[in-house]
Amino acid sequence: MGGKVTCTLGEVKNRADFIVYWGGNPAECHPRHFTKYTLTQKGRFVPEGRKGRTMVLVDIRETPSARAADLFLQIRPGKDFEVLTTLRALVKKQRVDEEAAAGTGLTLDQLQDLVDRMKRARFGVLFFGMGVSMTRGKHMNSAAVLTLAAELNAFTKFVCMPMRGHGNVTGSDMVLRWSTGYPFGINLSRGYPRFNPGEFSTVDLLVRGDNDAALILGADPGATMPQPGIEHLARIPTIVLDPKVTHTSRLARVHITTAATGISAPGTVYRMDEVPLPLRPALKSPYPTDEEVIRRIRRAVAEKPAWTPAANAGMAIS
Amino acid sequence: MLRITGGKVYDPANNIDGVVKDVCIAEGRVVPEVKGGRSVDASGMVVLPGGVDIHSHIAGAALNFARGLTPENYRRALTFSHTPERRAGLGGITPTTFATGYLYAAMGWTTVNEAAVPILSARHTHEEMHDIPILDKASLVLMANNEIVLDLLEAGEVERARHVVAWLLWAAKAYGVKGVNPGGVVAWKSGKNANTLSDPVEGYTRVTPAGIISSLAGIVDDLRLPHPLHLHCNNLGVPGNVATTIETLKILEGRRCHMAHLQFHAYGGDGWGTIRSEAATLAEHFNARTNLTADAGAILFGDAMTITADGPWEHVLYKLTGRKWGNVDVENETGCGIVPYTYKERSLVNAVQWAAGLELLLLISDPWRIFLTTDHPNGACFWRYPELIDLLMHADRRRECLSRLAPAALKRIVLPDLDRQYTLSEIAIITSAGPARALGLARKGHLGVGADADVVLYDEMPGDRPLFGSPRYVIKGGEIAVEDGEIRPVSQGREFIVRPRFDEGIEDFLRPLFQKVYTISFNNYAVEMERLAGAEVHVCE
Amino acid sequence: MTLTLKEQPKVPLEAETLSPDVLAPLAPDAIRALPVHLGKRRLRVDDFFEVEGAAGDELEIRGDAARVKWIGRGMTRGRIRILGNAGMHLGAYMKGGSIEVTGNTSDWLGGEMSGGLIRVHGNAGGQVGAAYRGSVSGMTGGTILIEGSAGLEVGSRMRRGLIAMGGQVRDFAGLLMKGGTIVLRGGAELRTGAWMSRGTIVSLAPIPLLPTFSYSCTYTPTFLRLYARHFRTLGFTIPCDEQEGGYRRYTGDASIPGKGEILVWKPRAS
Repeated sequence: MGGKVTCTLGEVKNRADFIVYWGGNPAECHPRHFTKYTLTQKGRFVPEGRKGRTMVLVDIRETPSARAADLFLQIRPGKDFEVLTTLRALVKKQRVDEEAAAGTGLTLDQLQDLVDRMKRARFGVLFFGMGVSMTRGKHMNSAAVLTLAAELNAFTKFVCMPMRGHGNVTGSDMVLRWSTGYPFGINLSRGYPRFNPGEFSTVDLLVRGDNDAALILGADPGATMPQPGIEHLARIPTIVLDPKVTHTSRLARVHITTAATGISAPGTVYRMDEVPLPLRPALKSPYPTDEEVIRRIRRAVAEKPAWTPAANAGMAIS
Repeated sequence: MLRITGGKVYDPANNIDGVVKDVCIAEGRVVPEVKGGRSVDASGMVVLPGGVDIHSHIAGAALNFARGLTPENYRRALTFSHTPERRAGLGGITPTTFATGYLYAAMGWTTVNEAAVPILSARHTHEEMHDIPILDKASLVLMANNEIVLDLLEAGEVERARHVVAWLLWAAKAYGVKGVNPGGVVAWKSGKNANTLSDPVEGYTRVTPAGIISSLAGIVDDLRLPHPLHLHCNNLGVPGNVATTIETLKILEGRRCHMAHLQFHAYGGDGWGTIRSEAATLAEHFNARTNLTADAGAILFGDAMTITADGPWEHVLYKLTGRKWGNVDVENETGCGIVPYTYKERSLVNAVQWAAGLELLLLISDPWRIFLTTDHPNGACFWRYPELIDLLMHADRRRECLSRLAPAALKRIVLPDLDRQYTLSEIAIITSAGPARALGLARKGHLGVGADADVVLYDEMPGDRPLFGSPRYVIKGGEIAVEDGEIRPVSQGREFIVRPRFDEGIEDFLRPLFQKVYTISFNNYAVEMERLAGAEVHVCE
Repeated sequence: MTLTLKEQPKVPLEAETLSPDVLAPLAPDAIRALPVHLGKRRLRVDDFFEVEGAAGDELEIRGDAARVKWIGRGMTRGRIRILGNAGMHLGAYMKGGSIEVTGNTSDWLGGEMSGGLIRVHGNAGGQVGAAYRGSVSGMTGGTILIEGSAGLEVGSRMRRGLIAMGGQVRDFAGLLMKGGTIVLRGGAELRTGAWMSRGTIVSLAPIPLLPTFSYSCTYTPTFLRLYARHFRTLGFTIPCDEQEGGYRRYTGDASIPGKGEILVWKPRAS
């Protein structure tokens, strides 16, 4: 598929005159998004601030974010892929089946209007949230957003950006990419990094029961995973590192309380646009940092007899 | 302590050209003598200073973007399995950080300059550098489309611009200043480009690409940075762009400058159908201007990845090839475009590009001014440098390759007429001594007393393999990093950074402006020294 | 050569050495010593399989090998028969030879294969004959026949070859298809043919289609009659008798814009 056309949030603040939020509720989940980056700031090239921008909200239900929208488009649940694919066709002035299009919850006229607005924008941005990436279609929904944004560049400047949530998921993506080549779902059991979403991604491993131990850091799968995955975590030796006792802690063998990163532990966080920011702890904690704990675990493991045959290097499979 | 004995030493910076002599090492430096320690028998081997790559893309936001775009490339890449002493990694077109260190070292290169870093993500670059083992590193920050600097140039405030540039360099903990497609990257934010050097840049009335180039070159000289302005000229890749390049050379009259990946700027013709190599013309102009250095940016046939701040050019490439396209515009500073690309022998355009790189290397007469690079990974992967060296040293190898090109290409190039063969000493200059001197790294690129003990030993007669394919020993900072193909754990490399002079009061100017146009806190912009692994600071007086 | 699974692996077992190209020249003792990977540990084939029989091109695997991955990886010749289930990546990158499975297979059956024949009597998982993440193409040749059902993204990025399903498939069959043929005798869930640029999908049951597919006509194409003859040799039939009905032809995917087609069988109303 196409690729990825994006920018840092300051570009949005300074230039964007057309903002689409798709499958996300920034008013509640990214509460400073409108005021810091996308709607109210006076940008270098959008000196009128809010008046110089149009915001479109696309979602399956009307959330508080709709109050800030100039246009709210309600689509039927699970139809994001159909809508995005139809938009891609309309952008290219291709024929679309009107009846099937209406099955998305939007009429052909509404879809065509959205396309016209996007093309008329000076600088358009498509922010997409979990309503896109986690609903039926999953990664293909995300791919549809990315490809639509890339294709709109034939007509005007258009970018997209995922509305990342929960702590430093972007940071984890960055570090894993530079050190292993892949953003997530990495298997190191053959000695070198391998990647295959659906095979090595967390939910798939847990639900299938493909792993026989788990170390959980900065996440709470005991609350978010499907039931078979949770049951598997409870069966195998599970170790949790977290500032709080979580759902996962309750079914783990070991819970180690660690200092909260960003509050009592230093580090770097990567914003949703991949800009790195330093974390300077404001408070002290009686607990060790995640880093200290992992280093101690590694030292203890290093003292055990080596198990990897030195000749592993010749057995690449990819 | 280490004594390398019996090897044929090539140390062109010290006029040593294939002399059998000992090289003595103690505490990470070359010393006149050692007593005790290990002795390495280098008979039958040549001894060279470690390679210095003056222009490569190895660490930071642009490269990491490219990694994410092409997971399929890693399935074909060289794998590095983890051992108690070595980290896991993947090679290929965009090697992972640990693999980058191992691949460069395994080839005999010990110092690498990351050529394009946005200040906003300099912190990210330093974090990746931290994970690149063995090598010493430097980085250049992008300035030629920095809107704060451009606004100052528009207002005629060159003095203040100089303080801002200096402040930014120190904030990013960088080594030098990079300019990419001056004015063009900021124009790309409005979907445009900057194709003519004397027309005002989009959004400005007085600032022109020519103005940016001469102002930045002047600022860099006034700041006495060890490395001159490192410039990626306007109109990269465009048929006929040699005119722009020659015009740029004239604008730089008298100022130092390093021209990046000159091959991509050496084309004649007026379209893809008429493109030809104008390397000969460019070399002539370049030879006459001794204030300039350049790196080749040669291409090799095969898979590559174009990664450049030249966003508009990447959009063109995307439309031409239909391959994946990555683009990120960085607020107030720069941008980045990525398109995977494959150079093919039967493509007329690629044949011209391949020839042009070699022609520049063969026709620029002073090896101290033209350096071996492929603009990794744009022209070819860095771990293919031995192939390029082979082509420079053996005219018959070049003729073999020429015979496989589309016949029409032969009329567009002069390479078939060039018989020059690089000597080993000249290779040592273009891969080590020259780049080290151009970067202003006084302890790199040579084996004189006081030099950093970065030494490479190759078999003099390796048989079928290219000379530079697999060194017998690679010594970095006096420690043996590679021995007969085995990578050993050694101390982490350092990062070279500069501390230019600036008026501390410039922060009072920057802070309110910054808060208006950026989206992070001014206090979070500058990278703290503690973030760097082993920084070596060059204070500019 | 017969390999009987004697021990269920606690975590998935990676057994790419179980391929005729690797086994054919080896004696049983050498086969027993071949490496298989259980998570991070390298073990021997005979830690999990009883090995019997003589060297050669024929390999039979018995037992519930649902957790054994990469059997037949990259094979170019020979025959594998699995009496039981098989794990992920069965026949991935295959170039020739044949694989037959009496039970079910998992995801990535025949991933990026370029030749050969795979026949599954039970169900398959997702990504049958598909491209691995980021690759430009999925399968580029060969034939995959599945009597049961399959999961998501069957034939994703397919360039050439044939996939024929007996049972239903889930979403995204023929995703980003560039060529080749997919026959869906049991129909599909959503988004069949999404983003296809070329290729033919034949469905014998009505299926929901994306708005970017447009009806063009109803007929029975000549090439389909030829295909039907070929399919009969492979053991299944598709209707081609104009007395019985016709195929509604839909073209798409307009979002590319693509020149693919989806042919949906419509029986003549009686």
